[in-house]
Amino acid sequence: MALGDYWKQLSWFYYQYLLVTALYMLEPWERTVFNSLLISVAGMAVYTGYVFMPQHIMAILHYFEVVQ
Amino acid sequence: MSSRSRLTKMTESSANKLLNGDACNRTINEKKSSKNGFVKSHCLFQQPHKYRRTVEKNQNVTPSSSLYKKPFVESFEETPLLVAVLTYMGYGILTIFGYLRDFLRHWNIEKCHVAQEREEQKDFVPLYQDFENFYTRNLYMRIRDNWNRPICSVPGAKIDLVDRVSHNYNWTFEHTGKVVKDVINLGSYNYLGFAENTGACVDASIEVTQKYGVGVGSTRCEMGNMDIHEELEQLVARFLGVESAMTFGMGFATNSMNIPVLTGKGCLILSDELNHASLVLGVRLSGSTIRVFKHNNMQSLEKMLRDAIVHGQPRTHRPWKKILIVVEGIYSMEGSIVRLPEIIALKKRYKAYLYLDEAHSIGALGPNGRGVVDYFDLDSKDVDIMMGTFTKSFGASGGYIGGKKELIDYLRHHSHSALYATSMPPPVVQQIITSMKIIMGEDGTTLGADRIRQLSENTTYFRRKLHDMGFIIYGNDHSPVVPMMLYMPAKIGAFGREMLKRNIGTVVVGFPATPIIESRARFCLSALHTREMLDTALQAISEVGELLQLKYSRHQQPHPSLEWTSEDSQLQD
Repeated sequence: MALGDYWKQLSWFYYQYLLVTALYMLEPWERTVFNSLLISVAGMAVYTGYVFMPQHIMAILHYFEVVQ
Repeated sequence: MSSRSRLTKMTESSANKLLNGDACNRTINEKKSSKNGFVKSHCLFQQPHKYRRTVEKNQNVTPSSSLYKKPFVESFEETPLLVAVLTYMGYGILTIFGYLRDFLRHWNIEKCHVAQEREEQKDFVPLYQDFENFYTRNLYMRIRDNWNRPICSVPGAKIDLVDRVSHNYNWTFEHTGKVVKDVINLGSYNYLGFAENTGACVDASIEVTQKYGVGVGSTRCEMGNMDIHEELEQLVARFLGVESAMTFGMGFATNSMNIPVLTGKGCLILSDELNHASLVLGVRLSGSTIRVFKHNNMQSLEKMLRDAIVHGQPRTHRPWKKILIVVEGIYSMEGSIVRLPEIIALKKRYKAYLYLDEAHSIGALGPNGRGVVDYFDLDSKDVDIMMGTFTKSFGASGGYIGGKKELIDYLRHHSHSALYATSMPPPVVQQIITSMKIIMGEDGTTLGADRIRQLSENTTYFRRKLHDMGFIIYGNDHSPVVPMMLYMPAKIGAFGREMLKRNIGTVVVGFPATPIIESRARFCLSALHTREMLDTALQAISEVGELLQLKYSRHQQPHPSLEWTSEDSQLQD
């Protein structure tokens, strides 16, 4: 079943993430702390990009005199 | 001093003659010396001229190929850059969480299981604040279940482990009462398979126990010198090809208690970078000046010898009383074999002494199992002090030192171990006597020769297969110690646990024993491992390697290989 395969692949990726960042060795509450910090920082970066990217792109195009 | 400062141009044939100790034709060259007195281009072993940027560092640079009768292939593949960066990142995250946990423990938010100073001592110099203790509390404890696993059977090719479980993240363990049976043992130092509970060795030990008892009750110098000790020492001397030998009850103590007897103040000790803790302890206890040369690097050693002879002792510039080179036969963390022919050529040229610690190589290397000297087909009279242990290949415990008769007679009266430590128990002595006779072939069977051949075949097969699978393996192609690189801290714990799930017991090694990013899993092969066991083990290692993404090696993968054939065995019949 395709969904089962995707789930297996995703959990393998999560396992690799745990191994590389050494979260594998930490207790569950420490993993929660680290994951929430990471997700909040990433979320804030995405939100900032979403809010400010149109303005930045217009400013760049204005600088290169592509649009007035 | 003048004969040492005469500079000689060495050719290949004269290098050979030097090895045999004959006089060689000397041609005097006038070369101007540089400002610090070090004259280049007259060394025995030159630096290679071209700088090659290759993936492998320290590949077999053998400038004097006439000294080596067989090809000497060692490889220590470089750490891939991405892996190194990710490893440092992993250690960084663990350090941050370590500080967080220490903070919680300090403010008593969390219960502290670890040793702490008492209230009255809090104003003194702190005991547990250095990096070693931080590492132990916060990194080692989390994966501690991979070490100190209790064993409840003989440590042969298969082993039984006591099942244990931890409910508070490895601070305390409980035994469930069950036993994990028939775990393939890739961790014990059992190179020739003499750690067994049936057979000729055990029967002889039982007889001797019934005759002499188990304890000795005294030191060698007082009342602990039995006739079997004398028999053992003569046998060891015959085995090694030296004039005389002496045995001690403990291998570690052999090194740390005897090096202080041999050297003292005013002597120079040149020891390898990666020497064992017992050698380092003995060398420090002796009080001599210690200089460390790069691991297995003959140019570094030669430069140090030349500087020592030219400049003498540090402030007074008097000549050194003795120069002792301390090396090991096989380095167990790297799997590398010492470059013995080159060291002997250097030692003869610069008139230094050589102390060779054959803890891992005795019995495991060489066509007759006589160690590194046999492997390189050299004369054992060239090595001044041959030391070794009985733990690894003979299935017993204890150590020996072999050499000239005057040296051993001196040691008998002056060694700290002989004066103060109890001598070897009789069953252990008999185990060594029986196993040594089997290896030499004196018991009438071919068991010894068969086991040596089996170990060599296992080594070649296992190393070749692991290399083909794409793992990074360190060391010489003929050494039975196989270190496989893991690098990342989480993979140390994951590898040990996954292998145990697949019923294979391995030893993983991390920081204090290895550099911080180069953690590894170390496999020790044995003559008792059959082809099926090795195949099972290799299959499991490959699975775990895929699961944990351990196949870091960047050389080309060869063809799906041809079956192992008997021509691959390194032994000649």
